[in-house]
Amino acid sequence: MTRKHRPQGGIAAATLALVLTASACGSGSGSQESSDDPILIGVSLPLTGDFSEPGKGVERGYKAWAKIVNDQGGLLGRKVELKILDDQSNADRVVSDYEQLIGRDEVDLVFGPFSTRLVVPSARVAEEYGMLFVEPAGAAPEVFTQGFENLFYAAPAVADDHYNHLAEYLLAMPESERPRTVAYAAMDDPFAQGTAYGLKDKLEKGGIRTVADEVYPPNTTDFGNIAAKIADSGADMVVGGTQYQDGVNLIVALQQLDYQPKLAAFSTAPTEPEFAKAIGNRTEGILAPTGYTQKADYPSNKEFVEKYTEQFGEAPEEDEANAYTTGQVVAAAVEAAECASQDPDCQGKLVKWLRGNSVQTVVGPLKWDDKGRPQSAHMIQQWVDGEIQIVLPEAQQETDPVYPKPKW
Amino acid sequence: MPSASLVFQSVVLGVLLGGLYALLAAGLTLYFGVMRVVMIAHSAFLILAAYLAWYAHRETGIDPLLTLFVTVPLFFAAGVAMQRLLLTRLRPATLTMMSVLLTFSVALVIEGLLGYAFSGTQRRIRLGYSSASIEFFGARVAVVKLIAFGMAALALLGLYVLMKHSRFGQALRATIQHREAAQLLGIDTDRIAGYGFGLGLATAAVGGTALSLDTTIYPSLHWHWIGPLMAIIVVGGLGSVPGAAIAAMTLGMLQSLLQLELSTTWAQTVFYVALFATLAVRPQGFFGGRLAQRF
Repeated sequence: MTRKHRPQGGIAAATLALVLTASACGSGSGSQESSDDPILIGVSLPLTGDFSEPGKGVERGYKAWAKIVNDQGGLLGRKVELKILDDQSNADRVVSDYEQLIGRDEVDLVFGPFSTRLVVPSARVAEEYGMLFVEPAGAAPEVFTQGFENLFYAAPAVADDHYNHLAEYLLAMPESERPRTVAYAAMDDPFAQGTAYGLKDKLEKGGIRTVADEVYPPNTTDFGNIAAKIADSGADMVVGGTQYQDGVNLIVALQQLDYQPKLAAFSTAPTEPEFAKAIGNRTEGILAPTGYTQKADYPSNKEFVEKYTEQFGEAPEEDEANAYTTGQVVAAAVEAAECASQDPDCQGKLVKWLRGNSVQTVVGPLKWDDKGRPQSAHMIQQWVDGEIQIVLPEAQQETDPVYPKPKW
Repeated sequence: MPSASLVFQSVVLGVLLGGLYALLAAGLTLYFGVMRVVMIAHSAFLILAAYLAWYAHRETGIDPLLTLFVTVPLFFAAGVAMQRLLLTRLRPATLTMMSVLLTFSVALVIEGLLGYAFSGTQRRIRLGYSSASIEFFGARVAVVKLIAFGMAALALLGLYVLMKHSRFGQALRATIQHREAAQLLGIDTDRIAGYGFGLGLATAAVGGTALSLDTTIYPSLHWHWIGPLMAIIVVGGLGSVPGAAIAAMTLGMLQSLLQLELSTTWAQTVFYVALFATLAVRPQGFFGGRLAQRF
């Protein structure tokens, strides 16, 4: 029975799709006439599933942006309105979500979702429809090698460049003082590996030897053996390409072995508010790159922190800030191009403007190369005196970097 | 070539890991021995116990080890109830096969409820002594891992004494060896089977608490455990508790040593390679008795 019906279902679906596409094309060009309508912005976010926690952070960032913009009279005199769908952290779902947003809901603009794994498929959809695609969370190298022409990453640096300031600092030291050997451990994840290997490439070029290089699957819970190999290598410095919990586990496992490197750098984990408690406050000297801090004194950041805190009752973190940055970048383009609609001319103008200009954001001034890679680097923070503080670059410095790091 | 100290360190880690595997596999093989039941939900109960330890510690600050006084009896009762209310309803002819489905669904229910109650976020108990370690002939042994190993060893020893030197243990072994004969001798095999099941689940309570001391937990973690554990009990010989313990120690050690030369991902495959090899060469397992040969 069911088998007989299937081809018909397929045909029906195909017809429906055709009709939808046709009607979408028809009305898409008509919708720009009424300029008092709110500007509708389509987003799909992982509000449930694997990435639900950061996904919700991004949602809060977008909502904060919309509220702040609307409180100040909107964009081009029009209110902005977000339409947010839940893609359940699923790459197939995110594709159909953006097709629905652009095709059926006729949104004027789109913002990107969270995480490389969802950014790549959704950017492809935006590209097909010729829409500008600014995204808050696809930092891995593969995002920028797909030939996307409309994509811009709204953060200071891609994963490979996160540690640039640290690499410069280390390579500028006299050779007798700087670390000679480094051990790397990275999660099998494009972002986490990108951060560690970006630094590895630079240090190896500068003549600093790699003595251990471990990769572990994302769900690893026991780091005893990896830590044993790193400790046994006796490396002067350890670098972790980590997310949150794996970073905590790895540090605890290294401490259990009483391994005392001169320098320890881990991505993401050390900047999380829970970090110090999670490793029993033995944080002294741990380094981490960060794309955002509430303390950075860029003009719009103060306003953002203040109003965000008012709206949500706590200060924003990196995910929220990057989402907000996405909003700022798109808003700057819209104001410069004086349009916000699906019209190919308008989207083309937006993309072109962003190619040639820099935008002031809560994470500092941003500009991009022709693949959409932002051209800045992350600040480097270090745990000094029981507090995480900016140590590099010197312009943003709160305290001097501590090297070699004290025992942990 | 890895240095001697690193090899020794890995051996120590392998022993500590193998001890935990041994305890958990012992429970799993017990269900099979007593009931011919394949208990997919064993590792889900393991994670449940770990969550209870974590939750109790977070809410009240008590040491996670103290939760054992609650979770062990609780899990024993749950095991008896599960056997009496669910598994005995399955038709004996298809028991082994259908028990896979039934316990699979139990595992999904536990995973779903944990996700609902505590979300999918990874959790870790924060202990004052979580990064403390002691020196052991040049190797470093983390205190938490040592405690976990000690718990596993004690629980296994307790299980061994119970099985070998108590009337209940004799009845349990008789039920494992030949159910009808045991009945003829006046053993209430249904009741014994229930207690045997409860005992298996109680090992999950001990194992879960041990696990929670030093690793991260999240609701779907149990899928990572059930595969290696199933492989261990097949290699050890289905139904053989000593076989499971020996296989667990051997494979745990191998996994730890393989990590020296291979990546973490590849080292995990040692369990499945051992499983295939066993099924191809010696399907009854290496330590199984007559029971295992019938399957």
